[in-house]
Amino acid sequence: MSFDQNAFLIIFTASLISISCGLLGVFMMLRKMSMTGDAISHAVLPGIVIGFFVSGSQRGLEVIIGAGILGILATLIIDWLKNKAKVQLDASIGITFTLLFAIGIILINMLAYKVDLDQECVLYGEIAYLPIDLWITDAGFSMGPRITYLAVLNLVLVSVFIFLLYKELNLTSFDENFGLVIGLPAGAINLALMSMVSYTTVSSFEAVGAILVVALLVVPPATAFLWTKKLTSLIKLTCALGIFIAITGYYMAYLVDSSIAGMMVAVGGIVFLGSAFVKSIKPNWIFGTSTSIKPLEN
Amino acid sequence: MIINVDSPVLEIHDLTVSYDQSPVLWNVDLSLPAGKLIGILGPNGAGKSTLIKAVMGLIPITGGYVKLFDRELNEVRSRISYVPQRESVDWNFPASVLDVVMMGTYGKLGLFRRPGKKEKKIAMDCLEKVGMQAFVDRQISELSGGQQQRVFIARALAQEADLYLMDEPFAGVDMATETAIFQLLQEMTAAGKTVIVVHHDIHSAMNYFDWIIMLNLHLVASGPKAQVVTEELLRKTYGGKLNLLTKVTDIIRQKDFNPLKS
Repeated sequence: MSFDQNAFLIIFTASLISISCGLLGVFMMLRKMSMTGDAISHAVLPGIVIGFFVSGSQRGLEVIIGAGILGILATLIIDWLKNKAKVQLDASIGITFTLLFAIGIILINMLAYKVDLDQECVLYGEIAYLPIDLWITDAGFSMGPRITYLAVLNLVLVSVFIFLLYKELNLTSFDENFGLVIGLPAGAINLALMSMVSYTTVSSFEAVGAILVVALLVVPPATAFLWTKKLTSLIKLTCALGIFIAITGYYMAYLVDSSIAGMMVAVGGIVFLGSAFVKSIKPNWIFGTSTSIKPLEN
Repeated sequence: MIINVDSPVLEIHDLTVSYDQSPVLWNVDLSLPAGKLIGILGPNGAGKSTLIKAVMGLIPITGGYVKLFDRELNEVRSRISYVPQRESVDWNFPASVLDVVMMGTYGKLGLFRRPGKKEKKIAMDCLEKVGMQAFVDRQISELSGGQQQRVFIARALAQEADLYLMDEPFAGVDMATETAIFQLLQEMTAAGKTVIVVHHDIHSAMNYFDWIIMLNLHLVASGPKAQVVTEELLRKTYGGKLNLLTKVTDIIRQKDFNPLKS
C-alpha cells in the first residue's frame, strides 16, 4: 500500500488523542472515577455552546474555558451530591451529567441559527474530515490540519501535568486520606486532574466526539490493568493500546466504509473483552501469588 | 478518671464530633505525655477511630479543639504520622511495597520534587524494621493481611515523625508479628517518640501500653495503666459485655488454667 498522507494524519491524530486520554484515564481508573470522566465529557457541552456563542467561533479560547468551568462544576456537583446530600455515587453521576448534557442540547437548539454545532458532531466527531480542516495563517499559508495541532498541544500539556504531579497523583489515588494527612492539597490535585480531563475532552471532541473520548478514557487503562500490576507498565501499555486502537480502528473502518470513531471504540471493546476472556481461562497458578506468611523474626 | 499532664504532646479540649447531627464523641477532654506507648480502648462503635481521625483533621469537628505540640495541626504536620485502617485502601492498586513505603517521605519532600536515593534508603531502613525487606519489589496486591499492615507501619515510620497515630494496626496480624511490632513500638517510645494505638484486645493492651485511654462515646478514663485499669472503669467502658471477659480472666487467675495442657 502506498503512503496515504490522509490516513497517516488521521491515525497520527487519533493516536495522540488516545494517548492523552489514556494517560489521564489511568489515574481516573485508579481513583475509581472512570465514570466521572464519562460524566465530564458529556457535562462540558453547555460550556462549549456558551463559549462558542460568546466567541463566535469554535477556535476561541472561550470554548475551552467554558468547558473547563463546566467540567469542574460537574465534579463539584457530583461530590456535593455524594457527600452532603448522601446520594450514591453512581446515581449522582447519572443525574449530574444527563442534566448538564440536556442543558447543552437545549442550548444548541435554541442558538442553532447562531452556532455552527450539532449533536451528531458532538457525539461522534468527524475525524474523517480532519485533513480538509486546515489551519490557515493570516498570510494565507496552510499549516496543515488544525485538529492535529490541537492534539499535539493537548498531549504536551497532559504529559507535563502528569510528569510534574506524578508522585502526588499516585499517592492521592492510592490513599487520599494519607495525602491529606501529610499536607498534600488533595482536593486541588483532584480538581486539577478533572480540569485536564475537561480540557482534553474539549480539545478532542471535534475530532472524535464525546463517546470516543469516554471510550479512550476508560477502555485502554482497564484493558492494560488486566495485564499488569505495575504503574509504569500500566501507563506504557495504555499508550500502546491507544495507538493500536487508532491504527486498527482506521483500517477496519476503511475496509467496511464506516465511522472511524465508531470502529475505534469497537476495536477497543473487543480487545478488552478478549483480554478479560484470556485472563479468566488462564489458571491462577501461572500468575499465582504467594500466600505464605513469614512470621516476623526479631 | 482523667489524668492530665503538663506540656502535653496532644491536648484535646472539649471535643465533640458528629455524623449527620448525631454525636459520636461527646466532650472528650484529655492531655497526653510524650514518650509513652498509649492505647485507646473501647467497644465497637465507641468512637476510637473517629477520635484519631478528628485529631488528624480527616473529619470535621463539631466543637472543641485539638492541639499537637501546643500548636495547630497545620503547623506541625511533618511531626505527625498516621497509620490508617488497612481496609481504607484498595490493595489492588498497581504499586510495589517500596512504592508505598516511599510515600511516607512525600510530606517532607513537598510538591513536584521526586524521591531520590535518600528517600529510598529511608524506606529500606523502615522496611527492615518491620521485617519486610525481603518483599521490597513485591506488588502490594500479593501481600497477606498481616504483611499489608506491616507495609503501612513502615510507611508511617518513613515519615520520621515524633507522634504516631495508628488505627487498629494489629487487626488481622498473627501473634508473632504482633509481639514484634509491639517491641518495635516500645523501642520507639524509649527513643522519645509518642505512639497512640487504637487497640481491640484488652489482654495484650495490659501487657504493652504505658498509658491507657478508655472510650465509649464519652471519655471514661485516661491515665497511666496502673491507675486506670480498674474493674469499675473497664466495666464502665465495656458495659455488660465485659462480664464474660472477667469470668474468663478470673478462671485463669484462680486455677492457673491452661487449655493447652489439660
